[in-house]
Amino acid sequence: MSALISLENITKTYVTGESEFHALKGVDFQLQSGEMVAIMGSSGSGKSTLMNIMGFLDHCTTGRYCFSGRDVSRLKDDELAAIRNQKVGFVFQSFFLLPRLNALQNVMLPLFYRGEEESSAKLKALNILEKVGVRDFITHKPNQLSGGQQQRVAIARALVGNPEVIFADEPTGSLDSKTSHDVMQLLIDLNQQEQRTIVIITHDKEISFMCPRVVTMKDGCVA
Amino acid sequence: MREKGGDVNDSEDMFLKLTAHIKEALLNLSSSKLRSALALLGILVGTASVVAMVSGGQLATNEALKQFKTLGTDLLAVSINDVPNDDQTSHSEESLTLQQVMAVTQTEGQIRDVAPYTQLYNPIQYNGHTLNGAVLGVTENFAKIVHVNVVRGRFISSLDRYSPFCVVGHQLYEQMKAISFVDPLGKQIQVGSDFFTIVGVADAWPDNSFVYANIDSAILVPILASTALSKYAEINNFIVQLVPNANIDMITHHLQQAVQHYVPNKRLYVRSAKELITSMGKQSKILTVFLGLIGSISLIVGGIGVMNIMLVSVVERRREIGIRLAVGARRVDIRSLFLIEAVMLSLVGGISGVVVGIVIEYIIAFLWHWEFMWFFWPPVIGFSVSVAIGIFFGFYPAHQASQLDPIEALRSD
Ligand SMILES: Nc1ncnc2c1ncn2[C@@H]1O[C@H](COP(=O)(O)OP(=O)(O)O)[C@@H](O)[C@H]1O
Ligand SMILES: [Mg+2]
Repeated sequence: MSALISLENITKTYVTGESEFHALKGVDFQLQSGEMVAIMGSSGSGKSTLMNIMGFLDHCTTGRYCFSGRDVSRLKDDELAAIRNQKVGFVFQSFFLLPRLNALQNVMLPLFYRGEEESSAKLKALNILEKVGVRDFITHKPNQLSGGQQQRVAIARALVGNPEVIFADEPTGSLDSKTSHDVMQLLIDLNQQEQRTIVIITHDKEISFMCPRVVTMKDGCVA
Repeated sequence: MREKGGDVNDSEDMFLKLTAHIKEALLNLSSSKLRSALALLGILVGTASVVAMVSGGQLATNEALKQFKTLGTDLLAVSINDVPNDDQTSHSEESLTLQQVMAVTQTEGQIRDVAPYTQLYNPIQYNGHTLNGAVLGVTENFAKIVHVNVVRGRFISSLDRYSPFCVVGHQLYEQMKAISFVDPLGKQIQVGSDFFTIVGVADAWPDNSFVYANIDSAILVPILASTALSKYAEINNFIVQLVPNANIDMITHHLQQAVQHYVPNKRLYVRSAKELITSMGKQSKILTVFLGLIGSISLIVGGIGVMNIMLVSVVERRREIGIRLAVGARRVDIRSLFLIEAVMLSLVGGISGVVVGIVIEYIIAFLWHWEFMWFFWPPVIGFSVSVAIGIFFGFYPAHQASQLDPIEALRSD
């Protein structure tokens, strides 16, 4: 069985003016469908950089990236947008909900960019919101929701397009420990009950203990 | 079959997305109301000025052409001028007599009527005061041809011949009343050393392009009496009323020949109503284009306002753009988002600008006592130019937004 994600010798170099910074120095990484992986590592070790490349938000400088057996290292902007829209879902530390849209509209956004009809998009979004436990707040704007609720809405948004993998970059980083635990439990349930593939970046040892597989990064390399 | 189905779906998608984009754009614009209002105001003022200026120019033209509605288009204004001569001293003494004018214009059967007149600028004295005004020597039919209405008394009659009677213009009449506090009708007025009795008062007289003097500030005396008044009272002008569809070129040629016969040193200058209308039409076109351009400049300024506000908006919403890109918006989606906002601004600004422009046109018509008219093109042009401006000036910010890098956009705050 071929891996969902396969990275071979990925490097990422940031050039700022005269100086170059090697954020990733040859990363090899495999992710199977249905896995749940925690990426650990100190701040600045390149975790987000790696995730952004895996999530098609960024290009690697050199190396080979295969997604579902297809080489996606050199795709055009619009192809990347389509993959982001259909194959991956993102959850960010600071939620990144659109402040002017309510919870429901935020969750419908990926479907809107897919060109899905409003009524069916609404139905899907409502189902997902129900599943993540914020069905009662669908007309609330993000600033009317608690951090935990916002993150649940964000998870719903990541899930609504039925992606093949969900990337969560420190999803509990802005939450208190009780809420963190609840949100983590939600992600774990998604993995265990629906076999969702999930990659979580975290600093928290306790959270990493909840994940079946832990990858540690150090100084731009997978340790 | 398959491909066709796909096409239909695609265009349906497009439509769905467009309506959703429009909804979003309105939402976004309404969430920064003051700023949107200011951008809108710029477009509004620009559109309004295009509409008001072009419509106003059109009203002015209509007003200028209106005189022909009352006077008719079958008039010729004929002037007889000295041939410009190097020899300054030789002012030709000879001029047409009244009989000669009649003789010249009696022929042909194409001429219905003729009104010769003389012009003098002798001082006019009334009740010891000097008044500024012209002395016009006219015939009986002058009133009918150039539409002088007598409100009191009577007009000059052909029986008056050399009699010292006069009709005073509206404005002079008011001045006289102010001087003497008694009704000037029947009183005497002094021109040079001669006295004239006021037998009639003319109504306010709308300017026209056929008579070179302003009748409101003139006294009208019998033409023979005027020639007796001064040797400078020459019959140098006459207004000819033609039969309908007369051959103007032929008549002009005939008049030229006939006048040449009597006064070989003079030149005839003929202006027809038709000629005046065409030249006014030409001037009006230039005026319209000119006013339209001035209006367009303010519209461009409005467009720059939209661009400025959209640029600020793009910078402020980088995070939002990043989020949208992260959930799968394509560059074209981001571009449409901002472009539609700019177009919405100019659409709303354009519509309200058209309304305001028409209101201004109405006010212009009201203040100048012009007849208000609805014009089709100024609103259409004003509106479409404003939308075009919105697209043009909205494109650059929208393009900028669409070129943002997802990661950088997400990282900004
Ligand atoms: N756009 C950029 N330009 C320059 N350096 C960057 C840029 N993005 C990240 N870096 C650097 O790359 C390193 C890795 O960053 P990141 O992947 O965000 O680390 P983390 O593991 O904390 O998520 C950091 O040292 C950071 O300063
Ligand atoms: Mg990070």
